[in-house]
Amino acid sequence: MVTGGKTLAERRDSVARRPRLWTSVVRQRRRILDLVQHGYIWLWMLIFVLPFLTTFAYSLRTSDGISLSPYQHVFGSFKDNLLLSFEVTVISIVLNLLVALPAAYAIVRFPIPGKGLLLSILNLALYTPAAVMGISLVIVYNFLFHIAQSLTGLIGAYVVGTYPLMLIPIIVALRDLPQVYEEAARCLGANRLQTLFRVELPLLGPGISAGILLTFVIVFNEFLVTLFVAGPGNTTAALRVFNLTRTAGIQPSTAALASTMQIVSFVVVIAFFRFFGSRYLKGTYLI
Amino acid sequence: MAGSVRPLAVERPRAGLASWLREHRQLVSGLGLLLPAFLTSLLLSVVPLVYLVRVSLTREATFFFTAEHTVENYRTIAERYLPNLWETIYLAGLSSLLDLIVGYPFAYILVRKVRYRDLVRATMMFPLFGPLYLSLGMHYLFLPNGPLAPALNLLGIDGTSLLYSLPSVLFAMAIFTLPFMVMNIGAALSNVDPMLEETATCLGAQPWQTFWRVLFPLSRSGVLAGLLMCFGWNLGVYVQPLVLGTISEQRVLAIALYQKGVIQFDYGLAAAMGVVLMALAFGVTWLSLRLSRGALGA
Repeated sequence: MVTGGKTLAERRDSVARRPRLWTSVVRQRRRILDLVQHGYIWLWMLIFVLPFLTTFAYSLRTSDGISLSPYQHVFGSFKDNLLLSFEVTVISIVLNLLVALPAAYAIVRFPIPGKGLLLSILNLALYTPAAVMGISLVIVYNFLFHIAQSLTGLIGAYVVGTYPLMLIPIIVALRDLPQVYEEAARCLGANRLQTLFRVELPLLGPGISAGILLTFVIVFNEFLVTLFVAGPGNTTAALRVFNLTRTAGIQPSTAALASTMQIVSFVVVIAFFRFFGSRYLKGTYLI
Repeated sequence: MAGSVRPLAVERPRAGLASWLREHRQLVSGLGLLLPAFLTSLLLSVVPLVYLVRVSLTREATFFFTAEHTVENYRTIAERYLPNLWETIYLAGLSSLLDLIVGYPFAYILVRKVRYRDLVRATMMFPLFGPLYLSLGMHYLFLPNGPLAPALNLLGIDGTSLLYSLPSVLFAMAIFTLPFMVMNIGAALSNVDPMLEETATCLGAQPWQTFWRVLFPLSRSGVLAGLLMCFGWNLGVYVQPLVLGTISEQRVLAIALYQKGVIQFDYGLAAAMGVVLMALAFGVTWLSLRLSRGALGA
């Protein structure tokens, strides 16, 4: 038989003869297996965090011992980059909302023919590698739209790359929302706009927040498309980290800026999970 | 029903566009709501990609003055840039395989044994912030006076030989995409009833038999989708070879494309490289979406 050449009866006999020893061996083996399995998970958790921890530790190590002095640069010479990053991120979030909300509403609630094809066109930028998107936008901005190296072009690149990620959670949330609420509000005398702003948008809150989170995480940390599209005047903080990596990578101030970016992103993500959970992030970039 | 509608339409034949609009109000307002999104995608995604293909068929930057149409760029890629293409595919493929080997047990333990999943998920956020911070962190990790130096010295490995090498590039790429692999396999595994494994064990199967004959076939779609997704993400790899790699790894297409397009203004060749990369990425994504049926089931 499969179990090591013994029949089941022989096995039962041998177990019955020395019961205590057998169960203790099994229990011990199971405990070791558990230990190995959880150890594996913890090892990879450590590896995921290790680059950040190293960066953070490196940012504290100056020539005169451990100090926070490299962080002076973050709020000194890097302040403009950080402010530009926040500004660009907020503008992209607002534009994404304006583009994605009506589109999600149309896709879920209105009879549009060819939804599958339409969604794949809308999601096209999501599947394009960043370098390809960068070079194609550079060509078009330079010679067709004539907005080369402008902030408009940069924000356009962010919006087209991230609004599909806003779209997906809102579509999921809209599908979860029964149409009954809308109909009840209309029956009770609310007009379309009132229904939208007083009933539907509050109920869509978690889905919209998930979209905002995704846009924030990506736009705030995006550097590759930025590298192609941004002009010398619009260096975002993530692009600054990249430039510094190439020129002054071993300066603690570079590590300080990179740590700050990651800490800000992490705090935002964790705050989101605390408030809304992960329900609306399924099938998107995070989770 | 149709019979009762037709006489009405015959009665009022003059109201052309207006009545059509009234009848298809739902469709028209739906299309109106879609317009901003559609225009954004059209202008900033479809038009640039079409332009990319057209520019790739002209010599250098002539497209914008007097276009010289040629397939020279693709011939150049076939003659001189094949090693770059292979390097890209090789790195992406190897790192995806690494992801699979590491990620399958990870996803299995995560789905079946782990109760502190939120903690694991929180740590998995760090790679998702982007390969740039990851590469920078690994750069610091392998520096001669970095935190890994004592351990590496103990093993007799020179830290700087790891710093610029194929393994560290592969490792950085694999960590960046591991969350995607774990996500895909985990989704497939959580749909597999644990009873099936117990049944296999009760029927006398060894653990590896249970894995190979029961678990793996049932999670195959997740494995394939994960492999393709990781491969697709890693095709556009740029920063890991730049920070952690040698000249050999820095041949990847994205870096060559940046050099040609932005530094040397050879738009034709850069566009042709972009088209090759795009074709690969779209093919892989299409396959992966077919296998996982997309996030929206659409």
